[in-house]
Amino acid sequence: MTFRAALLFVAVVASLPAQGPPHNGPQPVDAGWFALVNARVVTAPGAAPEAVTIVVRDGRIAAVGTDAPPAGATAIDCTGLVVWPGFVEPFYASDVPALDPNTTDQHWNTMVQAQRHALDGALVATADREALRALGFTTVAVAPSGGVLKGTAAVVLLDEPTPERKPRVVRHTAYAAASLQTSRDGYPDSEMGAIALLRQTLLDGRWYERCQRALAADATLRAKAPQPSAALQAVADQQSLPLWFDVQDELQALRTLRIAAEAERAAVVVGSGMEFRRIDALAAAKARVVLPLHFPDAPDVATENAAERVSLRQLQSWEQAPTASKRLLDAGIPIAWTTARLRDRKDFAKNVREAIACGVSPTQALAALTTVPAEWLGIADHCGTIATGKLANFVVTHGELFTPKCEVREVWVGGVRQVVQAAKDRGLDGSWSWLTGFPGTTPATAPAIAITGDKVTVQVGDAKLEVSGVVRDATSLACRLAGKELGDGPFWLRVWRNDAALAGTLTATDGSSRPFRASAATVADGPKDQAKASDEPKNPAPDLGPLPTPLGGYGDVALPAVQSFAIVGCTLWTSDGRGVLRDGALVARDGKIVFAGPRGEMPSLREGTLEINGRGKHVTPGLIDCHSHTGISRGVNEGGQAVTAEVRIEDVLDPDDVNWYRQLAGGVTLVNQLHGSANAIGGQSRTTKNRFGVAVPDAMHLDGAPAGMKWALGENPRRANGSGPNPRYPNTRMGVEALLRDRLAAAIAYRREQAGYEALAPAARARVLPPRRDLELEALAEIVAGTRRVHCHSYRQDEIFMLCGLAKEHGFKIGTFQHVLEGYKVADAIAQNAVGASAFSDWWAFKLEVQDAIPENGAILHEAGVVVSFNSDSNEHARRLNTEAGKAVKYGGVAPHEALCFVTRNPAIQLGIFDRTGSLTAGKDADVVLWSADPLEYEARCEATWVDGRPLFTLARDAEKRANVRRERQRLVQKALAAGKGRTAKEGDKKDAYWAAEDMTQDYCCRDCEGGR
Amino acid sequence: MHPFRSLVVLFAVTTAALPGQDLLPKAAPQGQVVVLQNAMLHTVTGGLVLGGTLVFADGVITAVLPADAPPKLPEGATPLVLDLQGKHVFPGMIAAASQLGLVELGMVRQSNDSDEVGEASPETLAVVAVNPDSTLLPVARANGVLAAIPFPVGGLLPGRASAIQLDGWTNADLTVRADVGPIVAWPAQAGGGERGRRGPRGAAAPEDAGANAHQKARQRIDDAFTAARAWLTAFTADPTTPIDPRHQALVPARRREVPVFALANELEQIESAVLWARDRDLRLVVVGGRDAAKCADLLRERSVPVVVTGVHRLPARDDLAYDEPFTLPKLLGDLGVQFCIAPGGEASNDRNLPYHAATAAAFGLDRDRAYAAISHDVATIFGIGDRLGSLAAGKDATLFVADGHPFELATKIELAFVRGRQVDLRSKHTELAKKYRERYRQLRGK
Repeated sequence: MTFRAALLFVAVVASLPAQGPPHNGPQPVDAGWFALVNARVVTAPGAAPEAVTIVVRDGRIAAVGTDAPPAGATAIDCTGLVVWPGFVEPFYASDVPALDPNTTDQHWNTMVQAQRHALDGALVATADREALRALGFTTVAVAPSGGVLKGTAAVVLLDEPTPERKPRVVRHTAYAAASLQTSRDGYPDSEMGAIALLRQTLLDGRWYERCQRALAADATLRAKAPQPSAALQAVADQQSLPLWFDVQDELQALRTLRIAAEAERAAVVVGSGMEFRRIDALAAAKARVVLPLHFPDAPDVATENAAERVSLRQLQSWEQAPTASKRLLDAGIPIAWTTARLRDRKDFAKNVREAIACGVSPTQALAALTTVPAEWLGIADHCGTIATGKLANFVVTHGELFTPKCEVREVWVGGVRQVVQAAKDRGLDGSWSWLTGFPGTTPATAPAIAITGDKVTVQVGDAKLEVSGVVRDATSLACRLAGKELGDGPFWLRVWRNDAALAGTLTATDGSSRPFRASAATVADGPKDQAKASDEPKNPAPDLGPLPTPLGGYGDVALPAVQSFAIVGCTLWTSDGRGVLRDGALVARDGKIVFAGPRGEMPSLREGTLEINGRGKHVTPGLIDCHSHTGISRGVNEGGQAVTAEVRIEDVLDPDDVNWYRQLAGGVTLVNQLHGSANAIGGQSRTTKNRFGVAVPDAMHLDGAPAGMKWALGENPRRANGSGPNPRYPNTRMGVEALLRDRLAAAIAYRREQAGYEALAPAARARVLPPRRDLELEALAEIVAGTRRVHCHSYRQDEIFMLCGLAKEHGFKIGTFQHVLEGYKVADAIAQNAVGASAFSDWWAFKLEVQDAIPENGAILHEAGVVVSFNSDSNEHARRLNTEAGKAVKYGGVAPHEALCFVTRNPAIQLGIFDRTGSLTAGKDADVVLWSADPLEYEARCEATWVDGRPLFTLARDAEKRANVRRERQRLVQKALAAGKGRTAKEGDKKDAYWAAEDMTQDYCCRDCEGGR
Repeated sequence: MHPFRSLVVLFAVTTAALPGQDLLPKAAPQGQVVVLQNAMLHTVTGGLVLGGTLVFADGVITAVLPADAPPKLPEGATPLVLDLQGKHVFPGMIAAASQLGLVELGMVRQSNDSDEVGEASPETLAVVAVNPDSTLLPVARANGVLAAIPFPVGGLLPGRASAIQLDGWTNADLTVRADVGPIVAWPAQAGGGERGRRGPRGAAAPEDAGANAHQKARQRIDDAFTAARAWLTAFTADPTTPIDPRHQALVPARRREVPVFALANELEQIESAVLWARDRDLRLVVVGGRDAAKCADLLRERSVPVVVTGVHRLPARDDLAYDEPFTLPKLLGDLGVQFCIAPGGEASNDRNLPYHAATAAAFGLDRDRAYAAISHDVATIFGIGDRLGSLAAGKDATLFVADGHPFELATKIELAFVRGRQVDLRSKHTELAKKYRERYRQLRGK
């Protein structure tokens, strides 16, 4: 860390500042010396209230104790009040002017705004300052908004600034703010792109710092020094700071924590409130969560149609949102609370009470508002508790915090008293008889006055007077009265308590006034309490039992256990050299196939083995989809650049997509999750098992599977079908070739450079500038090295032929040609230069470059010795890969067993995992599908699918889930109706931020988007 | 009568060794009377006839006979008699609510002829734009899809659907019935419907979605029919009244000579469309019908049939059962709603129509009923039941011979006739396959 940076990071709050412009007149002096006496004081979360005196001097706590207050201190009588540590708001997003992208000093990507600082912006808006103080907040961490690396946050006091005095800073630089925000007009336009940009920039910061060190040691290196960059300097300087990620959902939370771990940075997640949906994974990632106490509105179920559009997952999320804090705390995940994301901060106190009603203890609640955020912000020496030497930040309440009747009377911000709400004279509340002052009244006909807080009603006989303009202060109440019973015009009424009665004046608009007197009526003031109670949550706290993973209709509370099972007497489609075995048997144990062969040779079954009668049934290996875009969050394409080898599909796995389950119901156990085809060099692909329902999303990734990368040729990378406004290279197939050639050359050079550095002795390394780690070239270098497989979107023979030549020239083998619909024209080249070809069975004529696509393609390629697979590229087709394979029999006459291998053995070979799955062979993973009939025919229904021996789909389990969906939907729709009072969204209604975010994560439909094909 | 002749002999009648089907001549009109003997006749309306005989002349079926009945032949005819050796004969399948002939390459705008400018273009008639030389027609035909109902798309009143057969030199040759009825895209409530999908799958909520935008759009549809009625009244009284082709186009629907095809999927959408048609005295067919089972009583009571557009689709909502699309036809059948199955999606995939029905059959629909849903029931719903959809005397000889049931992937379609003319089953696909197999033959040096 540079000296400059070190200076910035110290907490700088001293006492009251002397800096500032000269005062216009004599310098005002604020003694700033107080003693809060007669209060009950809770000094820290969990501490019992004590009758102590707090002495405040120069903004800090000078003493806490039972000693008599010093003579110089002004005593503040706090009789009947409780003093708590001031709350700390850990996340307040503030606009800070964006950096000028045209200056040389900036990062090339405008999403990197690392050198910005919160204090350069507007800090906390006036209305928000008041709202925060009204809740008891005294300190706030302000973070710049906008960008992937947004800049650094500062902790300031919730002072009222004056021209002479700016808000006081508690800590100049508390954390580096980051997010996975995408760009509107370029790279990154996907979440995986944002992740790649973030990773690369953090690496660049480290590299930049190493270069600086090397340059400092050896000036002769200057010739090769990196261009000075304020952006990278800032990233380098911030390496000791924690990263605080502003995330949109719990999956983003997990993704950002992985980035932080890789960069060896401490991290805090500013969550969405939905973190309870992935609680085990977050606990495993040792997450620290700033939880917004924002509970979504009840989903709109006012009409049948509206209810239909609401998913069970949405209903469950709504119901369970208040339990988030309790669930996270129980899982050992520390939380701090924020008011961020609330539409109205006024709801905060109510939501705190709701969280407490769900089981959060008042001690935990106070900690989430004080000590926890103070510690995470590095200001525990100054804030969070009431102790000598700390800042004089207090909340002074009437009544216990977190109770419905609690009133925040005042907050103390760094020794400055800020009245939130003066004590109201409750003595005015009640029912009264208007005895004198009302024209023509007698005690028998006296009008009745009822006062409840700011609500006043005056009843004369059967009529009600019109009451308006009610203003109440500590001791009196004023309002306007009108009505024919009162005579001409409106009157002004002012009342105050006078012993047991009310007294006051009634003034006419002509200025004449008369005395007013009212005595207590004998009506009980019951309704008042009821009115107060209606503010409180009516529903009983939601069930705190375990939730299904994923939340929604098809998740499980507990993942089905690995089964020991045997299917006996079935037709076995082995997908290995043995072909189809009639009257076969399969035995699986501990997640592996232990036997698959003729029934007669089946070993005796161990006790506890589930024996399934397989007569009339067919059993195949789990189906493998070699081209899938299922379960990818926020962008299948990173389309911001023509080359995006650095982005990784594995970073954006969406384990919650219901299509995983639907595909289990079609026998799919493993997929090749691919980036889209919007650019010539797309992102890194991932081989993923369909382990729908696992607690930790990354557990779906098949460990050790060979790495892959998507490339694309033809119309899509040319953007010939109108995606993207700007002219971008390449615009021709010639350009695609030239670009690939260029990047391969760069990858080779990169490998050479890295290897050269690695080969140096440590001492020699110190004498050179370290090479920059480039995530794009690193991945491309793996292709040249043969350790990463290219899966290349292609249609026409010319482009296929071109890539075969290019691969051969560079000494690597293509993994698969994807789609490869004209592959049948150059099958010989594919056989020599690629592991295989992965095609659609019979799609054609959807665009110009597929006009020569034919369904015999697979068969002809197969005849030419190419390893052929059929894939889906579609959540819908993926559900029936078996009959897609059947089309290889229909068109071109591939033998049935070989045809099935198009969706079992062959894609496994193409993905380099045939040693583990893809056939019914002893020792392989128990990825097994049970079919009702010949799987190549449409009459076959999938009856059960095992993944690693777990029965993740069975007809019986499915029936249970359906029943549960019906039951739960009914219960929750009724509850939502009761809560929302049949609310229907009106035109122009601002959508609840939570639901709006959910909308953004709707299914990506690759079938109808040309970019996805 | 000629003795037995093999199928191969019949094939030899056609021109051999030509490039793609779009370049091939169309079939010649039926000259000889054809007698298909010893066939398994899937008549659809008259059950299964084992070892039966089917006779057709001048493009029309003249007899469907049981095994032991001697064929009655027209006086003086020299028939072509084929012993099918137990093979299967089916009426041709009909791709309903299709884009066949109107769209060649989905993403190539220039090859897309189904969407006229403007919100209401009922005057447009599908068959006018059907390309008889579309390469898509032979491909569909080769799988037994011998007729189609192309639908114009886009706007609230996209145009009028036509019934075509998939072989002919001119549009007149293709036409089975030019105007089978106008289409209305019945708007969904805000936030509903299906957006961004190709083909006539169901109307989306209007783009300018406000809370009542769908009602305003429905009103505009209603206005079009009201105006047509007023015009008809005026025109009938005073023939010099100027002609508006939009009004004229809606007259047959107004007179209940043809139904109105309402694209609708959501419950509220379907119900409101049915009630609208009732109040306007129109015959209605619901196209899409995803939620149709939920208002089965209404549909039955109003005799409104449903065209299920595609069985191979995803469930419309996350919470629905994975097989919700697969079981819908069975459910509609059980509830007594008249329905048929359309392929949905892109025209190039219409050849997969039998597999939509096959999936419905796998998920509970009776197999014969499933076949009817892509043949006879389509014909009935689209007003061409007198011509197509079953094997019965008087119907068009639009049928095919196969070695198995067309629901099975292993089945090969061996012969097909469109109105008695034997059509070529080759296509661009088969010819390209042949061409490139030749390349590998050459490479192997044979």
